[in-house]
Amino acid sequence: MRFSPFMKASGLAIATLSFSALTCVGTAFAESNKDGPTDGDIGFQRAVTPVMEAITGFNNFWLVPIMVGIVVLVTVLMGYIMIRFREKANPEAQKFSHHTGLEVAWTLIPVVILMCLAVPSMKLLYFADVVPEAGLVVKATGNTWNWEYSYPDYEDKVDSFVSNIVDIPHTEKRTEAGEALSHKQIIAQIEARPADQPRLNGRPYLMATDAALVVPVDTIVKVLVTSNNNLHAFAVPQFGVKIDAVPGRINETWFKVNVGEEGTYYGQCSEICGVNHAFMPIEVKVVSKAEFKRWVANGGSFTAQYSQNTIQNKIVGGMQTAAAQ
Amino acid sequence: MSDHAVEHDYHLLPPSPWPFLSGVAATIWGVGMVAFFAGLYPRNAENPNGLMEFLFSRGMDMFGADSSGVSNGGWIFLFLGCVFATIVMIGWWRDVAKEGNTGDHTPVVRIGLRYGMIMFIMQEVMFFVGWFWMFFEFMLFRKERAGWNTDVLESASAYQDGYGVNAAGNHFSTIDPWGLPLINTLVLLLSGTTVTWAHHALIKGDRKSAGTGILLTFLLGFFFVFLQGLEYKEAFVERMTHGFWLDSNIYGSTFFLATGFHGLHVFIGAIFLFAIWLRLKNGSMTPKQHFGFEAAAWYWHFVDVVWLFLFTFVYVVFALN
Amino acid sequence: MSNSYDHDDGKPGFFARWFFSTNHKDIGTLYLIFGILSGLIGGFLSFQMRMELMEPGFQIFDNPHTFNMYVSMHGLLMIFFLVMPSLIGGFGNWFLPLMIGAPDMAFPRMNNLSFWLLPTALICLLISMFIPGNPSGDGFAGSWVMYPPLSTSGHSGPAFDFVIIGLLAAGFSSIFGAINFITTIFNMRAPGMTMHKMPLFAWGILVTAFLLLLSLPVLAAALFMLFFDRNAGTGFFDAAKGGDPEMFQHLFWFFGHPEVYIMILPAFGIVSHIISTFSRKPIFGYLGMAYAMVSIGVVGFVVWAHHMYTVGMDVDMKAYFLAATLIIAVPTGIKIFSWLATMWGGSIRFAIPMQWALAFIFLFVVGGVTGVALANAGYDAAVHDTYFVVAHFHYVLSLGAVFGIFAGFTYWFGKMSGYLYNKYLAAAHFWFFFIGVNLVFFPQHFLGMQGMPRRYVDYPAEFEFYNKMSSYGAIVTLIGVLFFLIWVAEAFIVKRKAGDNYWGEGANTLEWTLPSPPPFHQFNTLPRIK
Ligand code: HEA
Ligand code: HEA
Ligand code: CUA
Ligand SMILES: [Cu+2]
Repeated sequence: MRFSPFMKASGLAIATLSFSALTCVGTAFAESNKDGPTDGDIGFQRAVTPVMEAITGFNNFWLVPIMVGIVVLVTVLMGYIMIRFREKANPEAQKFSHHTGLEVAWTLIPVVILMCLAVPSMKLLYFADVVPEAGLVVKATGNTWNWEYSYPDYEDKVDSFVSNIVDIPHTEKRTEAGEALSHKQIIAQIEARPADQPRLNGRPYLMATDAALVVPVDTIVKVLVTSNNNLHAFAVPQFGVKIDAVPGRINETWFKVNVGEEGTYYGQCSEICGVNHAFMPIEVKVVSKAEFKRWVANGGSFTAQYSQNTIQNKIVGGMQTAAAQ
Repeated sequence: MSDHAVEHDYHLLPPSPWPFLSGVAATIWGVGMVAFFAGLYPRNAENPNGLMEFLFSRGMDMFGADSSGVSNGGWIFLFLGCVFATIVMIGWWRDVAKEGNTGDHTPVVRIGLRYGMIMFIMQEVMFFVGWFWMFFEFMLFRKERAGWNTDVLESASAYQDGYGVNAAGNHFSTIDPWGLPLINTLVLLLSGTTVTWAHHALIKGDRKSAGTGILLTFLLGFFFVFLQGLEYKEAFVERMTHGFWLDSNIYGSTFFLATGFHGLHVFIGAIFLFAIWLRLKNGSMTPKQHFGFEAAAWYWHFVDVVWLFLFTFVYVVFALN
Repeated sequence: MSNSYDHDDGKPGFFARWFFSTNHKDIGTLYLIFGILSGLIGGFLSFQMRMELMEPGFQIFDNPHTFNMYVSMHGLLMIFFLVMPSLIGGFGNWFLPLMIGAPDMAFPRMNNLSFWLLPTALICLLISMFIPGNPSGDGFAGSWVMYPPLSTSGHSGPAFDFVIIGLLAAGFSSIFGAINFITTIFNMRAPGMTMHKMPLFAWGILVTAFLLLLSLPVLAAALFMLFFDRNAGTGFFDAAKGGDPEMFQHLFWFFGHPEVYIMILPAFGIVSHIISTFSRKPIFGYLGMAYAMVSIGVVGFVVWAHHMYTVGMDVDMKAYFLAATLIIAVPTGIKIFSWLATMWGGSIRFAIPMQWALAFIFLFVVGGVTGVALANAGYDAAVHDTYFVVAHFHYVLSLGAVFGIFAGFTYWFGKMSGYLYNKYLAAAHFWFFFIGVNLVFFPQHFLGMQGMPRRYVDYPAEFEFYNKMSSYGAIVTLIGVLFFLIWVAEAFIVKRKAGDNYWGEGANTLEWTLPSPPPFHQFNTLPRIK
């Protein structure tokens, strides 16, 4: 057989694409065990709540197989047709243009596939969406451009506080000569700050904030989300949580971090809200139940003397407004 | 191929300047809209009479109480755009009328015109679907919404048992449907009969009655717009006591914009009828061929039906509910 | 002007011909030129965006507002000023009358109005980029979806008012166009051409025109609401006045979802003809193909809120929209498999248009199945407003609709211009573009799964690898676009004459019975269809 250059090239392209598609299936199952996004990873971030586990499972066992299966089916069919029925191999075209059986088949089979898909999908939807009896309620209010958290259950103990990104003003992200600062340089600047100012301390830049939302592990946390002006969205990928903050309206969502998953998790504002849309991350610190109690008792601080949240907010709050100008 | 004679009845047209000029007019009008409503320049205290500041500062401020003696020209482009557009439309419609009279509108072209008009009315219907959607959402869910809105909405409780409060903080009363609105309904229904009368007269060849019918319809249309103007004026004057205005709250907004766009359509329909009346006087519109008239009548009926919906829901049902 | 008719072909003089045109082919040409121009501007903006996103940190844009403005204008330009004018205005005008055997459109003068409202619209959008949007910078930076309150209180400057006016002008242009197409199809088919004998491209345009006619007015109403909220103090979307910002999203997507099918159905039509031509076989399952498009159009009207799964809708509503959205995969599947069956048993030539069409099928399936993934409301919470969505819609738009445009352009280029292109240059265009856009958008699926949000000027370093790959892809794409411009220029310089039917046997719709380019007025004697 002799192939035209087009055939060769397209064969190559299709082979590469199907290969990469197949690797996707393979790696979709291989989860990273790092928290937060990982460079070069192609699946979801590691799930730490039942909802995100359900989403990941739905992805791995339903969506990816169906998606890849259909793409591979179409690709293989197309590849076969392109080889078998190319002009050289099949100089005389046939003339048929109907086959009722086939037409019925390719209508009904997708219907069946979709019905099979709809069942777990509905289950997932109702599981994720219906908020169960909550052990803790927190309220997240989107501002331009930071998040404000409050604890309606502990109103008398914990003041509401503002959570700002740890960053330098945009105007300082360029040298005099107009060179853009790289992230490394910016991080170095932040880390060189005096001790009373928020620093990254190894946390990821653009995700870390000066005051995290603190919640206990293994507790159903109901999040009330609203906004003061523009739309925002409260999102934490590892929790499978994403809900818009709409002015004049209080949306609800929930999560429950699995036992043994204490740690810090990050999310980013996920609805365009103006200049600093990319600069209002969400940081959630998940602590043991005992530690959470202590935190509440200390008025929103892990140590009795010093409330990190309130002090640091003042500093960065001012800076943030400067950056916005 | 192009040499031999045209053997079909479709309507091929020579080049026409109107579409291009419409584009130009639309550009001027668009700039004017922005200059008038939004203003491209804030009025500059240091240079109050700079030409650009004059031409492009917010024309609406003319009406405001705070026009501090500085003249605003934001209306100029809007005005020019409207004038330009009017000239273009007159030119365009005259061409159409001429073509109609010289027999370019063969039977197949007339069918096409019918399709065109039906499609146009369909898109108008969808336009009002947008406004009614807004209105129904508000009407059905306002109490629930007020529940969400407690943190931003000072008048939340007022919404929960009514329609909210106006800018002065007073509860307001909605418009009484059985006053002016009822009269307006009758006016429009009457105009529906006069336009049908005109149609029958035209078919019978009684051009004089047809003319009278159209003219009556046109006048009734304007009477409707006039009465609506009275109603608006009353609401405006009382907007600080028990009346409301379009910026009072969502009820005011939906009410004025929905009825306002309807009023605009009545106005357009009336102009359309007037143009047809002129053509009738000039001798076109035969008992057999008067699609221009029919289109205007369809449009008129459409405007009529929209009003019936407005009257039923925006006035009556809303006041009851 | 009458003396200009003395030329043998009846063409008027230059100015009258191009500015005062009432000729569907000339207007089609104007649309195509306009589409290419906007495509280049929109492509330039996206190139800048990709260069900014090449690495973490600020590369090009000092002000994130400007980046957001580029994103918004890129979306609006590509959708309203590249895809719609090219597919509907350009190819629709050129080939719908030819294919159904009509001498022109039903309302030739209104046709030209449809075109001339577009420069108005484009001027408004371009002006908006240079005047104050809000205190953060010039231009409108609230994304192409224009959600309030960012587009009302969030953009106090006049830039967004210009965008509104521009979109209203573009909307009216499309509404008039839709009226024209529907009337032409219903009223001007050649004798003997029943609806069920009509070419599929005409079906595609017919369904598209209905979608335009019924969805655009709702957008117009929504835009007016925005305009009055901004400038007259109304409170439609202002929570403090009892309004609800979410209502805008309903109104917008009631238009916006049909809009995405508006952009793809004409491409479906074009691809059908190309597949049939180069397989030398009639379309498989013609009726199924036609009614699949009709049902896509119908179902397309009742799925809009799948763009709003995260706004806090009632869970039962989400369940409904989930189910309704999944259904659309069925008629779309019918189309895909019918194309494959059309090729089956054919004698396939891989001419350039066929390459675009084959690539279209493959890439559209990739984009389509990710659409099906997004339709699952529970799952969508994880990927909504991330690059997964960006990848999905570029696979159906930049790699679907735009591939359809290029397929049609190469297929009909000889018919429209009378000249043949250079195969090697056109092949270079195809391959650079194909590889380029795949490089741009395939990695974005991974970015999205990893959680990278959309409309971000700067991102954590953890997203760097795929962003870089994506940006390199943009450079390859750019080379592809250059080859496109080169082959077009070359064809006009070298002037290889095209015959009446330069594709031969398989091409059997009516446009191939005419010379290339067709005479100024064709079908003075209407063709008869047996
Ligand atoms: C041409 C444009 C186009 C097309 C054709 C589509 C097609 C589809 N789209 Fe897409 N979409 C967009 C353009 C388009 N979309 C855009 C622009 C956005 C983002 C807007 C924004 O927010 O800015 C978007 C966003 C978008 C969302 C919202 C995501 C979010 O914001 O969170 C969703 C969710 O349901 C969705 C779904 C779908 C589905 C189900 C289809 C279906 O029609 C696809 C059907 C096709 C197939 C399925 C492949 C072929 C079928 C087979 C081979 C048969 C067998 C298949 C199965 C059994 C599964 N799209
Ligand atoms: C048809 C629509 C279309 C097309 C073709 C493209 C093409 C491209 N798009 Fe875009 N894009 C959108 C529609 C489109 N896009 C939309 C709606 C959004 C969302 C905006 C928002 O969030 O508000 C978006 C957003 C978007 C983003 C996300 C930005 C963000 O969220 O921060 C990115 C980032 O990479 C991107 C990149 C690109 C690139 C590299 C191309 C390249 O493929 C570009 C290559 C150039 C071309 C394809 C033009 C070539 C065509 C011609 C020269 C005309 C030919 C005409 C004829 C032959 C008649 N686009
Ligand atoms: Cu807040 Cu985006
Ligand atoms: Cu959609």
